[in-house]
Parts: sequence; C-alpha cells; structure tokens
Amino acid sequence: MLSSIRPKNRVIFAYLILPIVLYVFAVFIPLVTAGFYSLFEWKGGPNKTFIGFENYVTLMKDSVFWKSFSHNIYLVIACIIGQIGLAFIFVLMINSRLVKLKGIHRTFGFFPSTVSAVAIGFIWTMVFDYKRGILNWFLDLIGKHDAIKVWLNESGLVMLLISLPLIWQFIGYYMVIILSAISSVDKEIFEVAEIDGANGFQRAIYIVLPLIKNTLLVCVTLCVAGNMKAFDHIFVMTAGGPGNASMVMALYGYKISFAQQNMGYGSAISIGIFITSLLVIGGSQLLVKLLSKDKGGDN
Amino acid sequence: MAGKKTGRDTDSIIKTRILSLFMNFILLLFSLSCIFPLVWMFYSSLKEKRVFNADIMGLPKNPSFRNYIDILTNSDYHIFESVLNSFRTTVISVFLIVLFGFIIGYILARIKFPGNRLLYVIFLMGMLIPIHSLLVPIYVVFTRTGLGNQWFTLIMPYMAFGFPIAIFLVEGYVKGIPVALEEAAAIDGSSFSRTLFSIILPMCRPILTTVAIIQTFSCWNEFSFALVLIKDPRLQTVPLAMTQFTGQFSSDYTKIMAAMLITMAPIVIFYFVFSKQIIQGMVAGAVKG
Repeated sequence: MLSSIRPKNRVIFAYLILPIVLYVFAVFIPLVTAGFYSLFEWKGGPNKTFIGFENYVTLMKDSVFWKSFSHNIYLVIACIIGQIGLAFIFVLMINSRLVKLKGIHRTFGFFPSTVSAVAIGFIWTMVFDYKRGILNWFLDLIGKHDAIKVWLNESGLVMLLISLPLIWQFIGYYMVIILSAISSVDKEIFEVAEIDGANGFQRAIYIVLPLIKNTLLVCVTLCVAGNMKAFDHIFVMTAGGPGNASMVMALYGYKISFAQQNMGYGSAISIGIFITSLLVIGGSQLLVKLLSKDKGGDN
Repeated sequence: MAGKKTGRDTDSIIKTRILSLFMNFILLLFSLSCIFPLVWMFYSSLKEKRVFNADIMGLPKNPSFRNYIDILTNSDYHIFESVLNSFRTTVISVFLIVLFGFIIGYILARIKFPGNRLLYVIFLMGMLIPIHSLLVPIYVVFTRTGLGNQWFTLIMPYMAFGFPIAIFLVEGYVKGIPVALEEAAAIDGSSFSRTLFSIILPMCRPILTTVAIIQTFSCWNEFSFALVLIKDPRLQTVPLAMTQFTGQFSSDYTKIMAAMLITMAPIVIFYFVFSKQIIQGMVAGAVKG
C-alpha cells in the first residue's frame, strides 16, 4: 500500500480503541478475575479468605468435576459419530438421483440448528415426559406398557437421552456443510466411477470421503468446540440430574457458584473448565492439522 | 439399462426401486422430525389443557386462540417484553459487530503498524478460548462494576464474542480485494475514512451479510450468559423467558407451547423467508472459520 494513503496513527488508534477495550473487558478481565478469586475461600459475601491453591487441590480430587468432564467427552464422541456420521449418510442419499424433494430436506433439516437450545430442550422434555410424553404415548400405542417410565430419571440412560436432542439438532447443519463441499467436487468423477462399475458404498468410501476429508475435519473441530460448552439443553432437560448423572462442566461451575454461592471454588472450576477445554479443543485442532497435512503430503 | 429386458436387469430395477423407496423414506422421516415439533406445538396450543392431557397427539376438535389471548393480555408474564428485549439486544449487537468487525478486519488486513499481527492473534484467540468458562467470572466482573442487569448488559459480551469470527472473515475477504482500488481513491483525494466507508464497505457486503446472519442467530438464541447476567424479569431475553414458562404456567403445557411459539415466531419467520441466504451464509461462515 502507498505510504501516502496510510492514515495517521491517531486515526487507527481512534478506530481500534473502543472495540479492543470492550474485548479485553469481556474476555480477558474475567479470566484474570477468575484466576484471582480462585485463590480465595469466598461465599459471595463481603468476606473472603486467602487459601492459596487449596481450591485447586479440591478440584483435582473432585469426582463430580471429573465426571462432568467425562460427560463432555461422551457428548463430543456421541455427536461426532451421530451428527457427522448421519449427516454424511444423508448427504450420500440426497446426492443420489433417486431422491426427491432435495430442497425441502435442506430447508427442513437445517431448521432445528437455528432454534434456541432452550426450545429444543423443552421439545425433547415433552418427548420424554412421563404422562404426556410422545415416547410413552408411542409405547402405549404399540402396547408396550412395561417399557413406559420416567425416562429422564433413569441415571443409566440419561446421558444417552440428552445426547439425542444435541445430535438431532445439528445433523442438518453438518449435512448442509458436507453437501456444499461435495457440490464443489467435479461431477465427472462420480460419473466415471459409475461407468467403471463402482457401487454406492464403494463410491462413498473411496471417492467421496477422501475428497471432502478436510471439510469433515472442520466439522469435527466444530463438534468438539460445540460440545465442550454444552449447557443450555441440559439445564432445561435435567439440570444435571438425577444426582449428577448428566452433569457437564459448565453446568457444574454454574451450580457451585450460584446455587451454593461458593464463588471462590466456582472460580477455580472456571479455570479448570478453561484449561481442560483448551487442551481438548487445542489437541483436536492439532490432530486435525496433522491429518489434513498428511493429505497434502500424499498428493 | 432400461432398454434391455433381461432377467438380470429387471432384478436390478427392482433393487433400485427398493433402494429409492428406502432412501426417500429415511430422509422424509428425518425432515419431518425437524418440522413436526413446530406443527405439533402449534395445533396443541389451540387445545384446552384438559383435552391435551387426555390425548397429546390428536388434532384439536374445537381449536381456539384462548391460550394466546390469555398470555398476551397478562402483563405478569413479560412475554412481549422478552421479545422486544431480544430484538433490541440482537439488532444493536449485530450492527456493532458488523461495523467494528469490518473496521478492525480492514485495518488488520491493510495497514502496517507495530502490533498488527499480535492484535490479529489476540482477536483470533477468541475463537479458541472456551468462552463458557467465563460464565462465572463474567458475572463477578459485571456485578462488581455495576454493569450487570441493565438493558445494555448483554450487548457487551455478545459483541466481544462476535468479534473474532467477524474479524477473521473480513480480514480474509479484504485481502482478496486489489489494493489498486484504494490507491486510485487516494490519488483522487479521498480520505481514509471516506474510502473505507464509501468504497470498501459496499464491496464487502457479501461477507458482512454472512457475519450478520451468523451473529443474528447466536445473539437471539444465546442463553447461558443471559442467565447469569440478567436477574430482572423485565429485562429477560427470549431463551431466558422460555425457562420460566414451565413455572409460570404451572405445567399447563398448551399454554407453555403457545408462549414458546409467540417468542419463537420472529426467528422462525425470518428463517423460512430467507432460508436460502441463511443456509448459505451460515455454511460459508462455518467452513471458513
């Protein structure tokens, strides 16, 4: 750029200062604050006592926190398999000449991902509701009265049940992303494969999959980041219960801080969430980078 | 294939038919599952509580808008206010995210100054930072500074969380615009700010639309930060109000559904009117981000 048209530093500063201050205030100050308060025993009142790293020692031994962490990982894995896997299969189907109403599938399928998680949570609470739930209504209809139960009270089932709305909500989202990736691939490749006699399954694995590998990896990254912050659905559906059977990290931090007013320990949990999520998200991104580089090397 | 009539071909035609039936069925089932809850909530909301409790799936025999009238005429529920709050918060946040995202993205792409790359990295870090870990500390900071529980409270974190993706997208987009354009403008005597807003801004419209679409949905649907930062029921946004319905309407499900639909209406209409552009925008943003 010509140096003569470069604006004065004053002008640049004036344009940048407000958003930078806001960004630092809303993102970095809270982090530092959490780090500070995590060193105190503080119940939200005016008194706090400095206790050093004691909150972190408690956190390391806190089985509920680590259980919540494992639930986050459970959701990540369930959603990678459920969302991206099903989305990929649906895309293969939609791309087939045999399928009609492609536009409708796109528009309707994408719709749930634009709805607030609170509404989705409510809808699925209605599916699992004991007296007025759709699931129990259906079981009643087909005569399986023994199977009727208060679904969200089953601690062994609850993680599976709350991952269903999460998976369902975003299948359409990933479906559309993968569809757009495939549409940019040369159609001739598919035709050549058809002439050569590759069947649908072979085409999917050997031709489509490698071509959209990078898009799939982007989807995995989105999936990991999205599920480490799971909160809304679960807050609405079970609030982490029964007991802590469906507790996730963000919800646990919220409960300790607001329901128990234990802001000191809540801050330590926040830092714990920050570090564990950063490790998982960062780790998955590193893995993704490695995998997509791998592909570059092959070419 | 269709021309020949050997046994093997009829065989494969039947196979194709079955496959076609199966695939259409599965996809239809999925698409219907995505839209059915909305339909079900709508016709159920036209029922009376008793009728619904007796038969949850049946269509209403005497449909009435009584639930809607009850909700909208009772100001204790703050339904209309919550829609208004969400609307205001979303419009202001999205406008400012687009405006500042554009300015910062442009400056970072074009102008050399010490700390340019550092600033870029700091903003980009926002995409990696797990912001949900800020839930508790942001409450502490906002309450201490007296910025919590105001009509403008939510705009601040929504803007801050929206910046990274906006800046990232704009920066990449501006780099694809030839510099010669700005040079020509400068030679013609256009000032920096004038070039920025009357030449570059119109050129960036596609990417700014993408940013606006993504942010509209994320601001409208955001729940967890609204939950900790807003205590006054008159300042509640839509997702926050939704969590209150169950309590307010004491498990009167048909009323809850009516309230849900009233508060969902703006975004649902927005989606179905602009679905093509919205889908495109969201996908473009997700893939580049």
